[in-house]
Amino acid sequence: MTSREKVRRALNHQSGPVPVDIGSTGLTSMHVSCVAALRQHYGLPNHPVKVVEPYQMLGEVEDDLARVLGSDCVGMKARGTMFGFKNEDWREWRAPWGQVMLVPKGFGPREDPSGDVYVFPEGDTSVPPSGHMPAGGYFFDAIIRQEPIDEDKLNPADNCEEFKPVDAAEIAHWKAELTRLQGEERAIVGGVGGTGFGDIALVPAAFLKHPKGIRDVSEWYVSLVERRDYVHQIFDFQCEVALKNLETYANTFGDLIDVIVICGTDFGTQSSQFCSPATFADLYAPYYKRVNDWIHAHTKWKTFKHSCGAIRPFMNQFIECGFDILNPVQCSAKDMEAPRLKADFGDRVTFWGGGVDTQRVLPFGTPEEVRAQVTERLRTFSVNGGFVFNTIHNIQARTPVANIVAMVDAIRDFNAGK
Amino acid sequence: MPLLNDLTAAVAAGKRTDTVRLTQELLAAGTGPGTIVEQGLVPGMAIVGEQFKKNEIFVPEMLVAARAMKEALKLLEPLLAAAGIMPKYTVVVGTVQGDLHDIGKNLISMMWRGAGFAVVDLGTNVPPEKYFSAAQEHKAHLVGLSALLTTTMPAMKETVKILKAAGLPNTKIMVGGAPITQAFADDIGADGYAADAGTAVDVAKKLVGEAA
Ligand code: B12
Repeated sequence: MTSREKVRRALNHQSGPVPVDIGSTGLTSMHVSCVAALRQHYGLPNHPVKVVEPYQMLGEVEDDLARVLGSDCVGMKARGTMFGFKNEDWREWRAPWGQVMLVPKGFGPREDPSGDVYVFPEGDTSVPPSGHMPAGGYFFDAIIRQEPIDEDKLNPADNCEEFKPVDAAEIAHWKAELTRLQGEERAIVGGVGGTGFGDIALVPAAFLKHPKGIRDVSEWYVSLVERRDYVHQIFDFQCEVALKNLETYANTFGDLIDVIVICGTDFGTQSSQFCSPATFADLYAPYYKRVNDWIHAHTKWKTFKHSCGAIRPFMNQFIECGFDILNPVQCSAKDMEAPRLKADFGDRVTFWGGGVDTQRVLPFGTPEEVRAQVTERLRTFSVNGGFVFNTIHNIQARTPVANIVAMVDAIRDFNAGK
Repeated sequence: MPLLNDLTAAVAAGKRTDTVRLTQELLAAGTGPGTIVEQGLVPGMAIVGEQFKKNEIFVPEMLVAARAMKEALKLLEPLLAAAGIMPKYTVVVGTVQGDLHDIGKNLISMMWRGAGFAVVDLGTNVPPEKYFSAAQEHKAHLVGLSALLTTTMPAMKETVKILKAAGLPNTKIMVGGAPITQAFADDIGADGYAADAGTAVDVAKKLVGEAA
C-alpha cells in the first residue's frame, strides 16, 4: 500500500495502517531547531536547515528526514511568507540560539544588541518592522501596527487589501510545485491562502507594509461584537474572491492533490471558546459552508480545518459546514479527551492530530511516557480509519529529541502490530 | 440606588455609551466617584467574571465590557485622585520573557482593574528585572506572571526565583496561562494560581489579605 493509499483510506474512514503527517503544512511541522537535531540523530547529511515558515520558524522536513520519520504526506511549498517576502534567494543566518540555518533574502533581519530580532514586510527596511522575535524567544510575533480608528470612517475594504485574484506568477509557482511532486507516492497537501476567515494570526497583516482597517488583536475581537456588519462585509468579499480563486486552483491542481488546508482560525482556548455556537453560526458557518460546498462539488479534495483549544461545542458545526478534517485535536484542553471525541464524532470527521500532548508529555515527559501516550492515542483514534497521526500543533523548540524518536518508534511498532 | 444598578448592568453588558452617560448622571447627582467605582463598576465587572467562568460570555464580550469600564474610569480617575482616594492594592502584571501571547494577560489585568486594584501592565516579553523594578517602584502587593507556551514556562520559573530571592516581603506572586497548573505553580514557588480571569480576582483578594 502506498503512502497516498494509506491516507486516502484513513480519510474515507476505512481501517488500515495509520498514516502519519510530519511536516506537510505550517500547522503540522516542527521548529527548525528540532529538524536539525533530528537530522543529526538519524545521521542524515549535516547542512543548514531551511526555514520554510519564518513566523513560527519551522524547518524544512526534507524527503530524507520525512522517510526516516515515516511521514506519509508531503506539502506544496508556499511561494510567499507571513512577512510578505518570497521563499527565495536562500542564505545562511545564525539564530540567537547559535544554530546556522537558511533563510530567504527578504528575511533580513535586523538584530539589536539586546538580542531582539526584527523582520520587515516584504523585507523592506524603509517601513516599520512587522515581526519581532524577543531575545530568548524561538519565533516571531506580529508587531501590531494599528492606526487610530475613526468609527465613522471605518471601511471594510481596508481590511480586504490581502484578498486578491491569483496572478500568473502564483499559478506558475504552483505548477512548478506540481511538477516537483510528479510521481510522488505520498499524499499531497495543498494550501492556497485566502480561505481562512478571521484568523487572529493574520489580522495584524505582517505581510503588508501599511495595514489599514482593524489590525489590532483586541480590536478585532471587539469588532466581532460591536462591528459585526463590518466583519460580515470583509468575510463576504473574501469569500467571493476565494471562490473565484478556487476555480483557478481546481483547474490547475485537478486531482493531483488530496487535501487542502482551508482555515487556521482558533476557536478554542485552554478551557473555553472564543465565541458562542450562536456567533459561530451567524458569523463563520455561512462562509465555511460556501467554500466547502464549492470544493466538494468541483473537486475530490478533502478540506482541512485547524483550531486549537477546547472546541468540542463546535464539533457538530464544523462537520455540518462540510469540513472533512480537523486539526490539531488538542486533547489537553477542556472536554477534548480522545475516547469521547472519537466515539462522538469519529465516524464523521478525520482527526489529523491529537497524537501526543505537546503541552506536557512531549516536551517534559520521559520517552516511556511518550511511547505510552502515543500508543494509547493510536489505539483510540485509529478504529475504522478517520485518523492521520500528527502531534498537537507544531513540535516546539526545546522538545527533547529522545521524545520525538520515541514517538516515531511507537507509531512504527503500532503499525507493525507490535 | 437605581442609577448605580443601571451602571452595573451597563458595564456588564459592555454598553459603552450608557456606561459613560450613567457615570455622568451619577456624578451630576452628587454621588462620590469612590461610590460609583465601588457600587457601580466593580459589581459590573464581577458579573462579567462570573459569566465568563460559566462560559456564558467569551473573550470578545469581556473586552467590550472592559472598554466600557475604562471609559467610565477616564471620567472618574481624576476625581478620585483629587479626592485623595487611591486604590488600596497595586498589581504589576506581564507576560514572561520570550512569550508574546497577551489576550489572557489583558483579561486578567482588566478584571483586577475592575476589582478596584491599581494595575501596572508591563506588556509582553517581560524580563525578570523589569518585574522586579516595577514591583519595587510601585510597592506592588502582587505580581502576576502569564505564560502560554511550554517553551516559556522555564522563564516563569526563573522569574519567580529571582523575585523571591530579591526579597520583596510584601509582594505576592501569582501565575497563570494555558499550560500552567496549580502543581506547576506550587513547584516553582508561586504564591497563587488561577485558571481563569474570574477566579484570578478571588485568589488575588485572598493573597493581599482582603476576604474574597
Ligand atoms: C490565540 C492563540 C494564539 C494567537 C496569540 C494572539 C495574542 N496576541 O495573544 C496567535 C495565533 C498569534 C498564536 C501564535 C502562536 N501560538 Co498560540 N495559541 C492561542 C490559543 C488558541 C488561545 C490562547 C488565548 O489567547 N486564549 C484566551 C485567553 C483568554 O486565555 P488564556 O491565555 O489561557 O488566559 C486565561 C487563563 O490561562 C488565565 N491566565 C492567563 N494568564 C494569567 C496570568 C495570571 C497571573 C493568572 C492568575 C491567570 C492567567 O486567565 C485567562 C483568562 O481566563 C492557544 C490554545 C490554548 N489551548 O490556549 C494557543 C497556544 C497557546 N499556542 C501555541 C503555539 C504553539 C503558538 C505558536 C508558538 C505556534 C507555533 N510556532 O507553532 C505561535 C507563536 C506565538 C508567539 N509568537 O508567542 C500552543 C502552545 C503549545 C505549547 N507547547 O506550549 C497552544 C496551546 C495551542 C496548541 N494547540 O498547542 N497563538
